[in-house]
Amino acid sequence: MLNKIRLLAATLAMPALAACGNFEVTNPNQPTLDDLVSNPTRAKLSAAATGLFSRSRSEITSFIWRLGSMGREGINLAGNNQPDYQEPYFGPLSPSGFGGALWQSRYGLIRDANTYIDAVGRSGDLSAGEKAVSTAMAETLKALAFMYIIETRAKLGAPVDVGRAIDAAPAPFVSEDSVYRYVISLLTDASGRLQANPSASFPFPVPPGFSGFDTPTTFRLFVNALTAKANVLRATAGCGAPCYTAALNALSAISGSFLDANNPSNLSRGVYFDFSSSPNDQANDLSEPLNGVRYFADSLILYQKVQSNTVTGALDQRLTNKTAAATAETPQSISGVDITGTLKFTNYFTNGQPDPSHGIPIIKNEELILLRAEAEYFTGDATGALNDLNFVRVNSGGLTPLLSFPTQAAFVSALLYEREFSLLWEQGTTWIDARRFNQFSTIPVGVSSGGHVPTVMPIPAAECSARSLPGNCSPLGG
Amino acid sequence: MVKHFGWSALSALALFPAALLAQQRRITGNVRVEGTAEPIAGAIVSVLNGSAVTQTDDQGRFTLLLPSAAQRLRVRALGYGVRDVATPTTDTVSFFLSRAALTLDQVVVTGQATVISKRNAITSTSNVDSAELNRVPAAAVDIALAGKIAGANIQTNSGAPGGGAQIQIRGSNTVIGASDPLIVVDGVIYSNASIPSGLYTVTGSGSASGSGPTQDDVANRLADLNPNDIVNIEVLKSAAASSIYGSKAANGVVIITTNRGQAGKPKAHVTQRLGWSSLLRGPGERVLDVATAEQIYSSPEDATIIEGLAVNGKLPFYDHLKELAGGNAPASETQVDVGGGSGNTTYYVSGDVKRDNGIIHNTYAERQALRLNLNQHLSDRLDLGVTSAFVHSNSDRGFINNDNTGAGMTYALAYIPSFVPLLDANGHFRVPEFTYLGSNPLQTAALGKNGETVNRFTGGATLNANAWSNDKQSLRLIGAAGADIFNQRDAIIAPPELFFQASLQHPGASTLSNGDARYVNWNANAIHTYTPGSLLQATTSAGLQYEDRQLQIARATARGLLPGQTNITQGAVFGEQQENLSTERTIALYGQEQVMAFDERLTIEAGLRAERSSVFGNTSKFFIFPKTGASYRFPDLLGRGSDFKLRAAYGETGNQPLFGQKFTTLSTTVIGGNVGTNVAGVSGAPDIEPERVKELEGGFDAATWGGRATLEVTAYKRRTTNLLLNRTPAPSSGFTQVILNGGQLSNEGIETALAVQVVKHGDFGWLSRTTYSHDHSNVDNLPVPGFRPPTAGFGLAFGEFFLQPGRPIDQIIGQTALNPDGSFVVGYMGHASPTYQMGFGNDFTYRFATLSVLVELQKGGVAQNQTLSLYDCNQLAPDQATPEGQARANACLNTGLANPFVQSTDFVRLREVKLAFALPQRYAHVFGSSDVQAVVSGRNLWLHTKYFGYDPEESNYGQQAITRNVDLGPYPPSRQFLFSLAVGF
Repeated sequence: MLNKIRLLAATLAMPALAACGNFEVTNPNQPTLDDLVSNPTRAKLSAAATGLFSRSRSEITSFIWRLGSMGREGINLAGNNQPDYQEPYFGPLSPSGFGGALWQSRYGLIRDANTYIDAVGRSGDLSAGEKAVSTAMAETLKALAFMYIIETRAKLGAPVDVGRAIDAAPAPFVSEDSVYRYVISLLTDASGRLQANPSASFPFPVPPGFSGFDTPTTFRLFVNALTAKANVLRATAGCGAPCYTAALNALSAISGSFLDANNPSNLSRGVYFDFSSSPNDQANDLSEPLNGVRYFADSLILYQKVQSNTVTGALDQRLTNKTAAATAETPQSISGVDITGTLKFTNYFTNGQPDPSHGIPIIKNEELILLRAEAEYFTGDATGALNDLNFVRVNSGGLTPLLSFPTQAAFVSALLYEREFSLLWEQGTTWIDARRFNQFSTIPVGVSSGGHVPTVMPIPAAECSARSLPGNCSPLGG
Repeated sequence: MVKHFGWSALSALALFPAALLAQQRRITGNVRVEGTAEPIAGAIVSVLNGSAVTQTDDQGRFTLLLPSAAQRLRVRALGYGVRDVATPTTDTVSFFLSRAALTLDQVVVTGQATVISKRNAITSTSNVDSAELNRVPAAAVDIALAGKIAGANIQTNSGAPGGGAQIQIRGSNTVIGASDPLIVVDGVIYSNASIPSGLYTVTGSGSASGSGPTQDDVANRLADLNPNDIVNIEVLKSAAASSIYGSKAANGVVIITTNRGQAGKPKAHVTQRLGWSSLLRGPGERVLDVATAEQIYSSPEDATIIEGLAVNGKLPFYDHLKELAGGNAPASETQVDVGGGSGNTTYYVSGDVKRDNGIIHNTYAERQALRLNLNQHLSDRLDLGVTSAFVHSNSDRGFINNDNTGAGMTYALAYIPSFVPLLDANGHFRVPEFTYLGSNPLQTAALGKNGETVNRFTGGATLNANAWSNDKQSLRLIGAAGADIFNQRDAIIAPPELFFQASLQHPGASTLSNGDARYVNWNANAIHTYTPGSLLQATTSAGLQYEDRQLQIARATARGLLPGQTNITQGAVFGEQQENLSTERTIALYGQEQVMAFDERLTIEAGLRAERSSVFGNTSKFFIFPKTGASYRFPDLLGRGSDFKLRAAYGETGNQPLFGQKFTTLSTTVIGGNVGTNVAGVSGAPDIEPERVKELEGGFDAATWGGRATLEVTAYKRRTTNLLLNRTPAPSSGFTQVILNGGQLSNEGIETALAVQVVKHGDFGWLSRTTYSHDHSNVDNLPVPGFRPPTAGFGLAFGEFFLQPGRPIDQIIGQTALNPDGSFVVGYMGHASPTYQMGFGNDFTYRFATLSVLVELQKGGVAQNQTLSLYDCNQLAPDQATPEGQARANACLNTGLANPFVQSTDFVRLREVKLAFALPQRYAHVFGSSDVQAVVSGRNLWLHTKYFGYDPEESNYGQQAITRNVDLGPYPPSRQFLFSLAVGF
């Protein structure tokens, strides 16, 4: 009998032993954050780096049409999504609607970048040089994300210390100037790391839009360009001349810059976001056929502003190059909005056809020249400013050069004109510049009655409620 | 099977060595039915307050070694009254038991391998036997249980053939956790998964990662179980009863036992059923004249169309719902089973073929089931039981539920005015002039395919060993293992010829889905019984249990199909691929003590289950689920032969986190041809724990009037803490959602079950059963602000679910009035679950005829009737011209008030009717059969409700803890008539 009991006990115990200790079931469906951070192999870090490049562009088309609507460059007339024209044209911006956009995904990228920098630091696969240049890349894209955020929230500020645990209190808001200062410090750090490791190579594929800027040495030219831009934006957010000087320094040949104000064919040289319609990739959805019914150029307002060559009488070729007549069978219109759907943007066309793989510039030589013109003027070099501005005006716009800037107001007006048409439907520049130079009154409202040009995008509702603040909150006060 | 543990073990107990026993005598005898003297197999004869016990064989014979101290014997058998007798003076004896109309002496489960008589149970018990379950055949077991269990809210999700129902026991106890009860069939954990078919890829009801898959009108896979094989279903409702299943038992446990063969001559049954289904009710069509039609469709072009359709200035009238679902759909079922045994082996074999056509053309459900259950007496000490079942199911449930593409058939009906013909003069489908995205529902029914095939094997084995015993003690060892494995394949085909596909960029779609489920479980138990004397009987059990569950779902879609082709390779665009594997492993240790004292008057139970699982954040931590309780009987308190029992129990159970909730994942992205990763939006909870239900239950059971009346009353109060929730963090964290544990909700309720044998006089009998259940839920606190749960609804203008403290968990809020400043008052509009439900079952017998009627009633719940809102927004409800109808249309089109669309789900339903004639045996013998029964039955014959449209029991989102009452273009409900002929041999 005892033998039988032993046999039974053994039979019962065997599967018990076999099963124990196998309870750490990993996720077979997706990679996990834990695994990336705790076991950061070269391949995983490379994929995470690709993820950073990819997410970096994820809100850019939304950024362009939303800021473009508020600056009256264009309009989203897609009839089924009323807030997309209602809020920017009639106001107010809703912190849980149109106005609450352009936030979440940028902070997603910042979370990605912080995670990546952490994982790179732990990696045993990467050399010290590879770690340095990888970190520099992540810092740069993180800084870029903060720039996009603060360009929309301006005086409302934004949180920067967000790399904290999810159950910690939300990061505090800091002022616009502090955000720019943080951006510049990230870029300066990145530039330094790149400069110190010129022989290291990036341990990840760099997307084609970075062609010419895809080694640590050339990537640094991109970093310095962003540094210049951040300094110029910071200058008009209160910093003034010191920041303009810092911008000029970043744009100087000694620091390393791709600014070229000599060769007109280099105006579009720069760094671009890549798009494609391949699976899991992102398409450039601003590239819409001429009979599309979503995005339209704000024809009335643009034609009001556009200048013509005083000699030939031809219109600014930036407008004629970037737009074409819409061909939708029923012209689109919204009651109460003056803008008729008659003009479409074509700047994301290739060979006259819509191209969902068309890149969108992050920063290009044409912008650098205008950034330098602005910095020169406000540091006392009006001649340099005139030369740079005219270089763009003549070569990009096909217009006759200006002779001088009789007043500062005349310079600002000329600068904003060139920036609007050089960067039209690329950067939200019109709206951002209107705020930088307090020129909202120059943006036509564009609706028959009750119109409104927003001056800043509100803090998203979820950001307020996570801090137990009412909607439309202003965490910095004021 | 759990019951079987006890019985085999008891029989094994009789086999202890005689040498160990002094001062004993051997008695032999038999147990037979009072009146007919038929032998009763499997009856238990035991010494009261002693450990000696035995079981009768197939001839009703038994042998028992009787200790000299034994005073009284107890004789009992399932389905018969219990009988206590004085110890016989002779060594040969016959006992007679009478058939019990009300079984007071069922065996109920108290542990993985322990049972107790219902009369001693410390918790409320709910058993449904085969006769009650299969009174009127149903599409699936859960549907057949409706109205029969107090405390279980059983609701059909859809009128589609092939099942689709949900069981909610004692209210909603979770927000985002699993909401299904655990199903255990013969000891094997049985998957009741609802695997989406991928219909959402055609209806566009929602996204693949969002609400799409839940809106596929899914049949939960309990539908694969052949109800004809079931002998008993026990529902463990209280936490004290279900805590033996630990962290899977918060929603209750349904324990199903299938048939076993009885030793002796083989007994065979052949049942043939034939019948049909027809439309129960629907919204009806608005009759329109030219002027009214031109008000609704107001453009000059529309006027031309309307006038073109008019004949002599009058618009024709077509009843489109009748055209779509107005016919009689045939139904048939053939079941053959044989049970028997000889020597040490008993067996039960059954085969069943069932087909129900749906009332919409080309929809159907088919099931072919095969079962073999074997019992083998291996030696004096060892018994083996084996169960196995193979099922093949096929169905086509049509294109149904929420729709954004024109695919949904009943959805489109709400857009098609009655004057628009769907067929041309030649009987060909035509594009309706006024419809939803080109849809012609008759064409959709004819050409669209929603084919589903399931192949399923479920099997288990139990080894019972009587390890050791003496006159006061015994030790049994029981080991059991089982597996439930199935594959579900779905092929959704929307051919390019469908009018609603024609306008798409790539007309024609084919979606192929594959689901593979594998559940494996085993357990090992030791049970020690100690009976020192007449005052005490103690059962100590301990064991180990292991469960492994795995479900893999993969799916892909091709669009731009070649005409006539269905294969996913035959399209222009291929993709939308999905693959997801979820795995869960649990190991549990448990121990339990069950003590009966004072001549089985007092019962005390206490137990503990410790469990670790792969889905918990900390996989090495054991979570403890305790239970305890007591009952005390007062025999003869309500008169001689009566029984009255007070009982109270406390228990804790859990609800496991869903697979993946503890992980923060990386999503995939591509740029420049390279694949990369991003941190996904949901922050998992690495330290996630199971939800915990703590419940206190108390009540009484009374049996009086000579066992002809029983009443069970139970009140419970359950608190669920550590809820699985997601909160919205500060978006600057980079996450959109965070999974966490927290909050508390409570459910309180009362359940009563009354059964009375009203008349038992000569040839006439009337047995009446009434169940009543009431549940009230409340969200006590939340660690997050109030929030819309997932799939809450379609906006406050139509009513939405919303969770907030101080309100029922399933409350619906909406825009109920306008403030003076023009803003909306957002107010409480009711809760989804009914305040109370009642079931009235009555069986009348006269000689060879039986009439059974089950009426179900519910009151106090509301639903989001979005089907109604479609009709009203389109001004096509049949009563649109009345002031009430106009007010509803106005609410949709102008004011934005939700009031008309959140409707009461109160109903009275004639759920089951059966009229049966048993051929007298002397005639039956003429045909060589032992018994013949002819039955006419009907299910869902009549429904009284003020609810608009189809059925107040509808769930667009399928199985849901909270958001179940959403009605949006459902499969219409049907009534079914069946004629059955059952012959026994």
